[in-house]
Amino acid sequence: MKEQKVKILENAPIAAGIYKMRFALSEKTDGLFCGKFVNISVGDGAHLLRRPIAICEHGEENGVQAVTICYQVKGAGTQAMSRAKVGDELACVLPLGNGFRLSEEQKRVALIGGGVGIFPMLSVLKEYAGAGKDFYSYIGFRNRDAVCMADTFFSLSARAEIVTDDGSFGQKNNNAVAAFFADYEKARPDVVLACGPTPMLRALKTGLKERGIAVPCYVSLEERMGCGIGACLVCVCKKSGKEENARVCKDGPVFEIGEVEI
Amino acid sequence: MANLSVNICGVNFKNPVIAASGTFGFGKEFNEIYDIGVLGGVSTKGLTLEPRLGNPTPRIAEGYGVILNAVGLQNPGVDVFLREDLDFLKSKNIAIIANVAGRTIDDYAGICARLDGKVDMIELNISCPNVKCGGMAFGIKPESVAEVTRAAKSALKKTPLIVKLSPNVESIAANALAAQKGGADCVSLINTLTGMVVDIERRRPLIANNTGGVSGAGIKPIAVRMVWEVCRAVDIPVIGMGGITCAEDAIEFIMAGARAVQVGTANFTDTLAMPKIIDGLNAWLDRHGIADISEICGVLQLNG
Repeated sequence: MKEQKVKILENAPIAAGIYKMRFALSEKTDGLFCGKFVNISVGDGAHLLRRPIAICEHGEENGVQAVTICYQVKGAGTQAMSRAKVGDELACVLPLGNGFRLSEEQKRVALIGGGVGIFPMLSVLKEYAGAGKDFYSYIGFRNRDAVCMADTFFSLSARAEIVTDDGSFGQKNNNAVAAFFADYEKARPDVVLACGPTPMLRALKTGLKERGIAVPCYVSLEERMGCGIGACLVCVCKKSGKEENARVCKDGPVFEIGEVEI
Repeated sequence: MANLSVNICGVNFKNPVIAASGTFGFGKEFNEIYDIGVLGGVSTKGLTLEPRLGNPTPRIAEGYGVILNAVGLQNPGVDVFLREDLDFLKSKNIAIIANVAGRTIDDYAGICARLDGKVDMIELNISCPNVKCGGMAFGIKPESVAEVTRAAKSALKKTPLIVKLSPNVESIAANALAAQKGGADCVSLINTLTGMVVDIERRRPLIANNTGGVSGAGIKPIAVRMVWEVCRAVDIPVIGMGGITCAEDAIEFIMAGARAVQVGTANFTDTLAMPKIIDGLNAWLDRHGIADISEICGVLQLNG
């Protein structure tokens, strides 16, 4: 991980309340990978905390490393971020966290994403595109206005289902976890990756247990963070069956679903 | 290059910039970003005799120019620190301050005895606003400040004792004096101010613990005033902290009488905040033709 200035190449809305920001790194940075995150300053003096945001995509453009993040404009901090202009510089530490890793044997991969949790799933699709994996994507949004990146999910997945809470887009009366279970016998994934609101991840955990499905499953957790690098112990979760905490920023954000309490 | 080194209670700090407890863990994570050997010292995450899990999450929130935290002293316990973390800090050749907390007077005495002679200084955390100490808040009244200081001091044969003072009190100068009378070798201040942020959609405090400790740039004027008050009240050295973000901030505290400073929240805003402050101190002193940082300690002159 490296502290550095990043230069904004793009910062614009892609759906209701969702912004996509692409920035160029100023220093050669190793270890960029799907499921990891950046801790980025919002660019004003009033907000002392950085915002931890998942890497959505990373690559090289004309010999310069670039990273794309997508974030929800929720409070005053992310509002400040949304006002940052192309060419502005923001302070950033990256890459952080452990990320999603697929083994050679894990060919059939189920991706379950909800809300801003779809972006880490997108990062997996981009990272492993062309690596001979079959992706089965189950992606949930609040409503039609929030839908974004649907085309990417459709084009990079063997099968993708988009659902909305209110049925205004895609299947009605459905959610990403229900869609996953309904399709489970057909998809037969070797591994399941998920990111989304806590109730969604909880439903996934309960559903796997109730159905006696023992497929490996990894989830990416979200928690309010302080330092973002593992020092301050602000963003913790409980380890299952242990009197011990795990740090979401450093030990995670990706955990085996049985490893932590959700 | 000015001389930045300071000596506090016989302990040498290569510069007066110390990582504040709770923001820096035991130094390993920040050392992945820069060599923490450049620092004057590190005050460790608050240690207790037994491991503690801390408070539920969310543990952090923001206000304008400030943050609030309520971690609740999560730590692996003093024995794990001694076994797994102390050697790393020692290898960095920096002053090591063990920040310690307890529920009872005996806890404080016990943990001090456990650490005596193993670290450079001990900082008594009697002012953590985020932990329910069995109804006993040692940091509030001068009498209890003196009592817990005496108990800690009597358990220490070798290691100098810092008492970290709470700003959430009637008179921080009176408490500083009580710590001095109780045998403290040094005081540090300020700990966080107790605050609250409300999530108006949920009609609940944002932090799970309801209240949290306010820190960061916005509290600096309060901290400078308190450091100045305490420096006038006591004879022992004072370590100042509260909202320090840059070298100029640190100089305010030093001019008010602090011998060294601690930096906490700024580490979250910029992981390189402390090395930048050290460089900035050097540059400022050079620019002003001052050869030694001690020349500006306590030079504050009040307006007529």
